Amino acid sequence: MVKSLSKRIGNAVILLLAVLVLNFTLIHIAPGDPVEVLAGEMGGATPELLAELHADFGLDQPFHIQLFTYLGNVLHGNLGHSFYYDKPVTELILDRMGATLLLVITALLFALLVGTALGVASAQKRNSLLSNLVTILSLAGFSAPVFWIGIMLILLLSVAVPIFPIAGMATADEPEGTFAYIFDVAQHLVLPVLTLASIYLAFYSRLSRASMLEVLESDYIRTARAKGLSRFLVVYKHALRNAVLPVVTFAGLQFAQVISGAVLVETVFAWPGLGTLAFESILRRDSPTLLGILFFSAVLVLIVNIVVDIAYRVIDPRISAK
Amino acid sequence: MFHTKIMRRLLIVAPLAITAMLGATPISAAEPKAGGTLNTTSSGYRTLNPAVQSGAATGIPGSQIFAGLVLIDENYKASPYLAESWTISDDNLTYSFKLVEGAKFHDGQPITSEDVAFSLETVKANHPFGKAMFSNVATVETPDASTAVFRLSAPIPGLLLSMEPLLLPIIPKHVYGDGQDLKKHPRNMENVVGSGPFKVAENTPAEKLVLVKNEDFFIEGRPYLDKLVFSIVKDSLTRVLMMEKGEIDYVGFSGIRATDAGRLEKTGRLTVTTEGYGAVGYIHYLELNLRDKPFSDLKVREALAHAIDTSFIAKILFGGRVDAGTGPLHTGSVFYSGDVPSFEADLDKAAALLDEAGYPVGANDERFSFTLDIPSWAKQAHGPMGEYIQSQLGKIGIKVELRQAPDFGTWVKRISSFDYQATMNGSFNYPDPVIGVHRHFDCDNIRNVIWSNTQGYCDPAMDALLDAAAIETDLDKRKATYAEIQRKAVEDLIFIYMPQDFTATVYSDKVGNPPSSVFGPLAPWHEVYLKD
Repeated sequence: MVKSLSKRIGNAVILLLAVLVLNFTLIHIAPGDPVEVLAGEMGGATPELLAELHADFGLDQPFHIQLFTYLGNVLHGNLGHSFYYDKPVTELILDRMGATLLLVITALLFALLVGTALGVASAQKRNSLLSNLVTILSLAGFSAPVFWIGIMLILLLSVAVPIFPIAGMATADEPEGTFAYIFDVAQHLVLPVLTLASIYLAFYSRLSRASMLEVLESDYIRTARAKGLSRFLVVYKHALRNAVLPVVTFAGLQFAQVISGAVLVETVFAWPGLGTLAFESILRRDSPTLLGILFFSAVLVLIVNIVVDIAYRVIDPRISAK
Repeated sequence: MFHTKIMRRLLIVAPLAITAMLGATPISAAEPKAGGTLNTTSSGYRTLNPAVQSGAATGIPGSQIFAGLVLIDENYKASPYLAESWTISDDNLTYSFKLVEGAKFHDGQPITSEDVAFSLETVKANHPFGKAMFSNVATVETPDASTAVFRLSAPIPGLLLSMEPLLLPIIPKHVYGDGQDLKKHPRNMENVVGSGPFKVAENTPAEKLVLVKNEDFFIEGRPYLDKLVFSIVKDSLTRVLMMEKGEIDYVGFSGIRATDAGRLEKTGRLTVTTEGYGAVGYIHYLELNLRDKPFSDLKVREALAHAIDTSFIAKILFGGRVDAGTGPLHTGSVFYSGDVPSFEADLDKAAALLDEAGYPVGANDERFSFTLDIPSWAKQAHGPMGEYIQSQLGKIGIKVELRQAPDFGTWVKRISSFDYQATMNGSFNYPDPVIGVHRHFDCDNIRNVIWSNTQGYCDPAMDALLDAAAIETDLDKRKATYAEIQRKAVEDLIFIYMPQDFTATVYSDKVGNPPSSVFGPLAPWHEVYLKD
């Protein structure tokens, strides 16, 4: 296990390097110039100022020099300096990482738990009301654009029936006390998490339903039933472990997608996280910030995949035996 | 178009006059009360120091944090602010300002004439319009701590307008005078020491900006509000929903569409107004690259002007909530003149002009085709206008290809390298036309910089008019020169002017004294209060 893990980590490092070079090149190819964007936001500027800023940002250097300078900096643990915010990228990312992780992890766990539960429950009675409902809901969640779901949820649960706040991570005029603050953030978290989770919820419920149906047909389940085990024990002890494997695989693979989904959700809900920052950085051609976020997400996805690998072995010991 | 403007004024004035004649007293304004938190939003900013950055994102909080020498009222008249009085020499070359006694920065240090001189130098060197505003200010003398004397090398007719906190914020020399580059000074965002009615209490650029009352403000009893909270919300739809629900009390430059206005007004709590944007005066226009055929031909531009019905755009696309506008100046400007050639909507005339210009209808009923760029910003206005132009010009045999810019950077690149045929565009007048209007017409300003004279217009006669207007201190003479400039700009069709923008402030009925000067939300909010 240690050997395969170290191999995976070795692969991951090579992959990260490729991600860096590829992203840097892609951003460089994209039309537009961060200095012109800055000048535009200032309301216009002189050609002298433009030249000064180009030199400042190192944009007057040839492409390969810029690339090697950047790679060198990253290897030294320096993700560079944001053109726009004029701050170290690492600081910007650390500032906003918490908000994004809170959103993404809560959404993913919610989707995973509720999705699997719905799927498993509906698999047991194939044509029941619950089963049909789950199918309809997942189709809807699957096909509706995520920002649309977000806005609809705001309209429904925030404007029409004012239960939850519309936007932000905390009330602007913060309540006193740690407990009150946590409660406040939790309230703000509900709608973004529901929105982000909706797609994956649909997906996991479909997946676990299909997988459960398949497992329930298999011989060992029949054997288990035949020897007189209770229905509960058969489903939740024997069948679930096997049925949940594909769901875990997908959860790992989809982690990257959840992060990209967060970009839209964060924008709609004014959630102060990395998604908003990434989106803005693209518009502003703030390449150091964007590269930093992409690098950070790549690291995160790799970590999650390694964690999923380990999770497999825990759920299905046969895998590590091979 | 000019007449509708007058008619509208009359319609507004008439009921008031009648009320006055009947002797009915208007409902007396409630006594302002102190205290409370005003919730507002911002779309995000990169600096809080308006000395080095223009635009509303920095300007709105910036004008609360920093004070200026004077305030401009709704009639473009200057009134005392940090300067309690001033004198202007007969030759208009010396302005002597006397500062309010005992005014202090937020860190307790006194505000002196040294700081005024330093602020002027900073703005002149770092603000995008610093040179346009102050290049004729030769020196600022500081005979004593409370007197600042501006010596000019040539008259600057709009000088007092540029003394608003937005344009000449008084910043502390003891903080910013440490030799660092002001554009990137760390104190522009962290531990900001200002001179205005509100102090920075919390600045988390991803989330919110909290300003609190400056207890030591130099105007006794102001500001009324204890706290201003700017929530950072980028999505305009989310902002509309927040207003609708009442989570925010006041938003300037709200970015809402004209179609949202009715929806917000229907709540009965919210007022939507386009007042307060006269000074910055945003103008929409169709920019044609004048270097190349067919747009180098005035007849072709005239044909376009006849084909595009701006009053239709104002009525249908902007819900009749904006003035159709006539030229380079905003109707809210003192220098606005409606006495310009008008191109009545007439497709037959447009077609005839194109025939004359040598663009007859050819194969596929087509005369010529061109690509019209649609910028990524202000999409809610540019998109529909572009589509309308496409369909109108299609009727006279001009095929228009719309090219939607994916983002700001792409569009800026195209326009500033002159690599375009036509684009929807627009820009701010700023209080004095020297700042916001001359840049588009001046031969010397044909540069690879966005919002310069990118279309490539050059006429020595226009340059002469601009030069005269820049230093004319007699208001009436200056108005006459600008009237001529406006006439010439429309005659030459430097741009094809579109209706004025629907820029709106939205505020709830809880808000008393919403900022009402020509600077609107960009002015200090020290008189704003919350009703019970």
